Amino acid sequence: MSATSAFAEAVVRVATPLAYAALGELVVERAGIINIGLEGSIIAGAYGALVFAGHGGAIFGVAGALLAGILLATLFAVFVLVLRADQIITGTAISMLALGTTGALYQTMYGSVGAALTTPTFAPMVIPGLSSLPVVGRALFAQPVMTYPLYLLFPILAWWLYRTADGLALRAVGEKPSAAAAAGISVSRVQWLALLFGGAMGGLSGATLVLAQAGTFLEGMSAGRGFIAIAIVALGRWTPLGVAGAVLLFGAAGALQFLAQAMAWPIPYSISLATPYVFTLVVLAVARGRAVAPVALGAHRE
Amino acid sequence: MSDPALSLRGVSKRFGRTLALDGAELHVQPGTIHALLGENGAGKSTLMRIAFGELRADDGVVALAGTNREWSSSADAIAVGIGMVHQHFTLVPALTVAENVALGDRGFWGGYTPARAAERVRKIGTQTGLVLDPTARVADLSVGAQQRLEIVKALARNARVLILDEPTAVLSPRESAELYGWLREFVAGGGTGILITHKLREALTLADDVTVLRHGRTVLQSAVSEVTEASVVTALLGDARGPRVGSARRSPRGMRTDAPVVELRRVSMKDARGVLRLREATVAVCAGEILGVAGIEGAGQFDLLRILAGRRAPSSGTVTLPSRIGFVPEDRLRDAIVPTMSPAENVALHDARHFRGHMPWRELESEAVAIIAEYDVRPTDSATIGALSGGNQQKFVLGRELRGSPQLLVVENPTRGLDIRAAAFVLDRIRSAQDSGCAVIVYSSDLDELLTLAERMLVCHAGEVREVPVEMEAIGRAMVGIT
Repeated sequence: MSATSAFAEAVVRVATPLAYAALGELVVERAGIINIGLEGSIIAGAYGALVFAGHGGAIFGVAGALLAGILLATLFAVFVLVLRADQIITGTAISMLALGTTGALYQTMYGSVGAALTTPTFAPMVIPGLSSLPVVGRALFAQPVMTYPLYLLFPILAWWLYRTADGLALRAVGEKPSAAAAAGISVSRVQWLALLFGGAMGGLSGATLVLAQAGTFLEGMSAGRGFIAIAIVALGRWTPLGVAGAVLLFGAAGALQFLAQAMAWPIPYSISLATPYVFTLVVLAVARGRAVAPVALGAHRE
Repeated sequence: MSDPALSLRGVSKRFGRTLALDGAELHVQPGTIHALLGENGAGKSTLMRIAFGELRADDGVVALAGTNREWSSSADAIAVGIGMVHQHFTLVPALTVAENVALGDRGFWGGYTPARAAERVRKIGTQTGLVLDPTARVADLSVGAQQRLEIVKALARNARVLILDEPTAVLSPRESAELYGWLREFVAGGGTGILITHKLREALTLADDVTVLRHGRTVLQSAVSEVTEASVVTALLGDARGPRVGSARRSPRGMRTDAPVVELRRVSMKDARGVLRLREATVAVCAGEILGVAGIEGAGQFDLLRILAGRRAPSSGTVTLPSRIGFVPEDRLRDAIVPTMSPAENVALHDARHFRGHMPWRELESEAVAIIAEYDVRPTDSATIGALSGGNQQKFVLGRELRGSPQLLVVENPTRGLDIRAAAFVLDRIRSAQDSGCAVIVYSSDLDELLTLAERMLVCHAGEVREVPVEMEAIGRAMVGIT
């Protein structure tokens, strides 16, 4: 495999968990909510995938991840939508809670030498024909099955957001909840559903890490992907197409470290590891001031 | 006569301790334009929000074409053909015209497509003359176009009874004329229009019937052909003058000079949307003089008073103000004090921008104590300003603003929400300020209060500022735009 196609393969691999998380957060933010607790849904999803896959195989693991992600999003929704707590504080608390709890549970259930433990995983699924395309063939079509639904999810979301009455309702809620309510839309119902969807996608992001990549669980293995996904949504300017592009960009930033190793570039390993996070800061600085964020994003409603 | 298109009988509504509506009546004949008039707080908007299902009446009946109705939400009222265009628009600025019209439609697979929504907007445009570009973003529309869009939204849901709350308040005269032209056609085609307005002359030219509310009661119901402007003004303002607070107007004892301390020349003010709120106002106030300001909501006095208080820079014109100005804004809790802070901290806020470094808290404490004693603020040992009653807050704010003897005092609704004793105290202090040579500008929505205080009167109407004689009749007429 050439260095180019190895790099392209790494881009897609790194991008897959980010894509699920960012897709979910996109829907949440279009409903006017910023869920910093996404990191919590990802790590909970990863842990849920581990536990369930251990009992019933990889497919069962996906179900566990969905369940765990939704559970964390439900907790966030109860605080933010029912108790009207601050979104940022709630989200931060939920992320910390999930990171701490999954770590403690893992140690309790599998012991401190659990690293040896491996779970059933999805092997790469090579799609005949398409995978022989030059350069991107193997990158796009010889991935674990977790990657493929994304190729449909982004276009479906774009269609749903701009072409259906429900998508319109979601956008209106994020822009001006009072107007949406005046038109007979239940703002809290829309926000609930958006949050649950966001939690499910966060869970799938965690499932990807465990079932399609690491093959095991590590404490804190979400590694800030929830926060990076929030930056991705901003860079993608809150549109499905933009977010898809931003996901690939971040995928490339993350894949650089593999390229650096493969090409034996004289860059210290720790610095190449930091690439995605430095890139996030650069992006936030550059994308600032051109915001087209939903107007009511993060607004505290009484 | 056929059944009224919309009938409200004996409608009462209480908000907390205020009785907003007290057995109000409104009967609107189909195919007519009905003007609903009343002063601020007379209950017009409340009554219409009840008709539209946004509020529930405590008592009374809403009937549509002779059938009694109960709404559980405005969706019910919309379903039977009532539409309402609110004074503050309910549009989503980031969405397109077509999307705003489609908002709230049901259906995941069927119903909405962008093309169908755009087609609907175009169709309504050709049928009614309310032409809008379906793909335009609402944020880019003029205020007049936004208003057309609100009407199109109602028509898209087949509204036959259309309630317009102050539709021309934000429109240019030409846009107003267009709107009224359209409304006549709508009614000629069998629709029914209810027009809430402050603009008496417009209402009487346009409407077939008129209903006047005062203090939540219906005081006049008539065909427009059977009333005169004068009789409507009397109904609006009421002829019974209640017992008055404070002493009667008297000639000032203070030092008068003829050199103005405050001068505005051809001062204009535009709001964020670029709408002219104040047009070429010219005002002069001398030391020791009380100038009264009156105007219905949104007539421009809000900006005028903030310019006079030095709180806002005008868009154009020249402003001469003294260096020391006291300002008592209408909304104390929002604009004058921080309720959770102590009296001393609230004193410090008055000229917080002059402090540097270490705060002289001891001096500020003693100043707060002095204000509390001199202005009879009770209780005297309150830990926070928010714990005081409204009247005591107002006395405290007035005391703070008058400390250091300002050359100009600007006061808005000085006695609103105050009991008789506190109100008399506040008015008395305003007069003492005048006597000591302070120029005073008072805005009040209570005309009687202005009559007892003011020596000269300015009235704002649709952004124009005009000096009028200090007489109830003249002020009332100028407020509704009769020259």
